Amino acid sequence: MSSTSEIIVEDSPGKRVLLMGNEAIARGAIEAGVRVAASYPGTPASEILETLAAAAPKLGFYAEWSVNEKVAFEVAAGAAITGVRSITSMKNAGLNWVMDMFMTLVYGGVRGGFLIAVADDPDAHYSSNEQDTRFAAHYAEIPCLEPSDAQEAKDMARYAFELSEQIELPVFLRSVTRISHASGDVELGKIEKRDRKPVFDKHWKMPWRWDVYGPPSAVEKHRWLHGQMPKIKKIVEGLPWNRLDLHEGQSVGVIASGIGASYALDAIKLLGLEGRVAFLKIGTPTPLPEKLVEKLLKSVTNVLVVEEGEPLVELLVKALAKDANPAVKIMGRFTGDMPPVGEINIDIVAKAISKLTGKELPSDPQLEKVREEVKKLVVPRSSTLCAGCPHLGTYWALKRALSKFGGKVPIVNGDIGCYEQGGYGIAGKEYKPSFSTESVHYKIEAPYETLDTNYIMGGGIGLMQGEFRAGYGDGPLVAVAGDSTFFHACMPAVANAVVNKAKGVFLVLDNSWTAMTGHQPDPVTGVTAMGEKTKTLCIEDVARALGVEFIRVSDSFDVRATQEAIEEALKSDKFAIVVSRRVCTLQAMRLKQYTRKKMFLEKDTCTGCRLCVSLGCPAITFNTEENKAGIDPIICVGCGICAQVCPVGAIKVGE
Amino acid sequence: MTELNLIIAGVGGQGSILASHMVAMAAIREGLRARVGETFGAAMRGGAVASHVRIGKGVNAPLIPRGGADIVLAMEPLEGLRNVVSFLRKGGLLLTNTHEWLPVDVNIGRANYPSLQSIKEAVEQLGGRMIAIDGTSLAQQAGDVRTLNVVMLGALAATGKLPISTETLKQIIMENVPRKTVEMNMRAFELGFNSLK
Repeated sequence: MSSTSEIIVEDSPGKRVLLMGNEAIARGAIEAGVRVAASYPGTPASEILETLAAAAPKLGFYAEWSVNEKVAFEVAAGAAITGVRSITSMKNAGLNWVMDMFMTLVYGGVRGGFLIAVADDPDAHYSSNEQDTRFAAHYAEIPCLEPSDAQEAKDMARYAFELSEQIELPVFLRSVTRISHASGDVELGKIEKRDRKPVFDKHWKMPWRWDVYGPPSAVEKHRWLHGQMPKIKKIVEGLPWNRLDLHEGQSVGVIASGIGASYALDAIKLLGLEGRVAFLKIGTPTPLPEKLVEKLLKSVTNVLVVEEGEPLVELLVKALAKDANPAVKIMGRFTGDMPPVGEINIDIVAKAISKLTGKELPSDPQLEKVREEVKKLVVPRSSTLCAGCPHLGTYWALKRALSKFGGKVPIVNGDIGCYEQGGYGIAGKEYKPSFSTESVHYKIEAPYETLDTNYIMGGGIGLMQGEFRAGYGDGPLVAVAGDSTFFHACMPAVANAVVNKAKGVFLVLDNSWTAMTGHQPDPVTGVTAMGEKTKTLCIEDVARALGVEFIRVSDSFDVRATQEAIEEALKSDKFAIVVSRRVCTLQAMRLKQYTRKKMFLEKDTCTGCRLCVSLGCPAITFNTEENKAGIDPIICVGCGICAQVCPVGAIKVGE
Repeated sequence: MTELNLIIAGVGGQGSILASHMVAMAAIREGLRARVGETFGAAMRGGAVASHVRIGKGVNAPLIPRGGADIVLAMEPLEGLRNVVSFLRKGGLLLTNTHEWLPVDVNIGRANYPSLQSIKEAVEQLGGRMIAIDGTSLAQQAGDVRTLNVVMLGALAATGKLPISTETLKQIIMENVPRKTVEMNMRAFELGFNSLK
């Protein structure tokens, strides 16, 4: 038996194993002797800390799920200031929360190695945007490492700590979904045992090193930061992940960074162009290995830049070309040869290399035509909440409560978590833009049409207050958020609503876990990342302490009670909070806190009204020929919400 | 065989990702290079999931190019078709479970689920071949519907198209499923394997 969690802590250098990119980053940190790890869950980055947290008790280091990314960043930075090695990890959007500390910490840097590992999400598979965080590393003037596969992810993460200590600055590692959530064979390295004593010296190598306000000034510390760059540039020039493969007779070249290098290598193979294209593999998009870039630019006439995200390398290469070889033609996103949005793949890169080299792509137009024809058979599969999800009950109750306001136009402000699916819409349905000058009422056909706005963690509760301040009066104002989100980003907005006398209903969907990212504990769970029991914070207690006067708590599985609580809140003339509570069913089943029950649908009683179908539970089916609803016995967990929804009592809960 | 491009598709919760990892682990144990790329939406359960498995000496990227899959292994027919249309190569194989997991879009009357016959015809139009087995029933027969992924791996092994020995694959499965379920999973593997004989 050798599961991945056991392999991760095994000190067996040379062993080849399958690791997910995130596990590889964690393993790199473990090999480097990391002492403190802190993060907030966010796909596609969560498994970095999950892996570290599972390893921490076995290897004797510390790992935590912090309340948000900013706190996580500070926990890791504080550890690095005392000279030990630390890592913070987050998803793309998480970095936005840490920018304040990030931009300022670099003025004094760190003493122990500090790795900032960020997983971007081109194509927004799991994110609200496609932001390219490599620019943040550039902005902060620290080096960015960008792996092309799981092996490099592991090796770079390990090396990052050494580099960080050498330059006394944090080091940035930029992953993407196709690294973080892809797996590959990785050769393990040695696990370094580091038993450093944390130390503190406030004038270490620089007066007032850890206090940007300390004399001489922040400007002097900024000067110091600038002064590190020549040293960094010299180091990256010699790193093994920056490699130029250039031979005589090659007139065109490809510069490929991170995962782009893997796509480019496969595309070159697909085109049968091995050895015929000069190849510069980039492992540090910022700062670039400038000498290698210049050498390539001076040797070829045309260059294609392949990178995932925005054109950072392309921009920097263009700047270098001005002096190195102004005549060289640079293809990439600026020339439209790489797509402006979405993620790249072998096909996209092959097409661009085909244009670069004039070598035609193998194609079968007849088969492509058949593919387009056959595609019409494929129907969408909209993302849904799980069978038995407490949010299904809460959203049904909310829909019913809002329907009491007739044709009015409520605004339901969304937030980030499983319940954000309340705004995913229905893939099989066509939505058309409206150009109305008045508020428009839309029917909610499934819970996936409930949310009207959604952007970022904690965003909804703030937006609701703006809508109220604008004087919006065409319908009720609601904001929803989950338990983890409440602590992450909603508390300041709640305090704001109270002291500035805003009105509206804040519906907190408390399922006890950060469920969407894979059930990490949060402040209401009562357990830490390392599995220790801890205090459980209570959302209504916090709301009360923040001065909220109208608070109701309901059980999400009790649809009527939840509906009544929301109705009462909507009628209240105060800022109101409703906590709809029920442990995530998936997690409850896993922890043996929930026993599956069987549901029965009496076909004779069913009138085919489809009300149960509009509950949006994936276990409820509908047979159009019979005009009857059905329950998929494999998917159904027997939560009983649909039985409360059925107007004729056709659905019954069994044993 | 120098390279194998395999897609394992299904609905979130059907175990297709674990299945893909187990195939890749078996490949690595036999000294091959492996890549797995997962594609799935934000949802934990119920969403369309596909894992790209690439085995061979020269593989770099974790995703299979268009028309580059030798085999699509599907835990659910619609998800098989979804991947076949873009990825199955001429002469490729769709090995699918017959049990349908209806999308909410179909349940609310916004889309029609394609029949198994129409899926078969589509695969054949693309120059491929389809094998369909009732993997869900076999998994229930093995003792738990959650062994579906192992039933399908058994069937996959029986095609003889994997560049990995069946013994290595079985060994990897034993190491990666919960200890208490090893026996049941081995039963599931055999049921899947024999369904193709």
